[in-house]
Amino acid sequence: MSIRHAILGLLANGPRHGYDLRATYQDDLVRAGKLNIGQVYTTLDRLERDGFVEHERVVGAEGRDKKVYALTAHGRAELDRWIAGPSPMPLDLRNEVFLKIAIARRIEGVDPQDVIERERRACFERLHEVTQARARAQGVAVEDELLLDLAVLRLKAFLKWLDHCEEKLS
Amino acid sequence: MNVAKGVAVEVTGLTKVFGEGDTRVEALRGIDLVVAPGEFVAVMGASGSGKSTLLHTIGALEPPTKGDVRIGGRSLGTLDDDALTVLRRRQIGFVFQAFNLVQVLTAEENVALPLVIDGLPEREANARAAEALALVSLTPRRAHLPGELSGGEQQRVAIARALVTNPVLLLVDEPTGNLDSRAGEMVMALLRSLADEQDHTIVMVTHDAGDAAMADRLVRLRDGIVLDDQTLPRGRAAAELLSEDPS
Repeated sequence: MSIRHAILGLLANGPRHGYDLRATYQDDLVRAGKLNIGQVYTTLDRLERDGFVEHERVVGAEGRDKKVYALTAHGRAELDRWIAGPSPMPLDLRNEVFLKIAIARRIEGVDPQDVIERERRACFERLHEVTQARARAQGVAVEDELLLDLAVLRLKAFLKWLDHCEEKLS
Repeated sequence: MNVAKGVAVEVTGLTKVFGEGDTRVEALRGIDLVVAPGEFVAVMGASGSGKSTLLHTIGALEPPTKGDVRIGGRSLGTLDDDALTVLRRRQIGFVFQAFNLVQVLTAEENVALPLVIDGLPEREANARAAEALALVSLTPRRAHLPGELSGGEQQRVAIARALVTNPVLLLVDEPTGNLDSRAGEMVMALLRSLADEQDHTIVMVTHDAGDAAMADRLVRLRDGIVLDDQTLPRGRAAAELLSEDPS
């Protein structure tokens, strides 16, 4: 996921300083991704080097100097290019459950069907957890709903895949 | 709730055989199942696993070949046809995939119907129907015919009709099968809230893992036997899941 473009996006509606960007990023935009302030400033430095943002020093309320960053025209063009272009779709096939099933098939006395059955129970528990949270989030925050929907659909697909494995290996 | 000893439904050694000779099918082969009051149980299984037969047998729509079903402490095997009819009408609420509403009656008249059939004065029946419709948030639609309602609304009317007799048990068969995903979500959220806030006991048959995940417990059937019976843990908050570390 592109932290660079997230930061460009957060600057699209006006200049902001580093702590503000970090707070919005991790409290609002990408709650599953913690961002330390060092990463924010490293990213801003690189964006500035590439001409996508510029900063000016402003004296804050408590009398200290703050760097406030703004999007340049070049940065805006980069942001638009990123939004308009398709994202990479990683297949993410380094899957631990698959690994367990494959190893189980190679060891005498270990039944891959037992692995599938246990994983199905665990996956269903997880689906239950997310589905209940999703139901409680209904109508509260649309972006939370969308992310939980993604989690629900992935888990349902994974359960289907486990059924499929069971059938293929029986 | 008027149930004995913390058990709403008790199924023991339930066997159901259809046909004989070459056409003999053992739909259920010795099912044991205990459902506590206020529990929301999902029953899943492939078609032919026996899940619908189980629901129909618990609901006294089909007699078992062997074994017993007890609802609120009473054995169905000891009841004659008249008593079974009364039990179905007063103690069990049914919700079907196809809604099964009477097309020429309004939403409120549909909901009042089980009470009217049971001999309640129409005024009282209508008053209780209005309460049940309020519970499923359909008061503004009370005078509409089923044909004037969306699928999701029709299913909510069907749920209100199932609830109006204040049954010991709600039996629900594929409640979202005829609904789009948004209406389906609303119906499932309603069932969840009936279990959480009204302490209703629900047994729901579904082939949808997402619907089953709304229940407290998952019973999986295969070839007429219980393959797995899984009690699901209490959930965490959305915020906690959304900020979960991906690794």
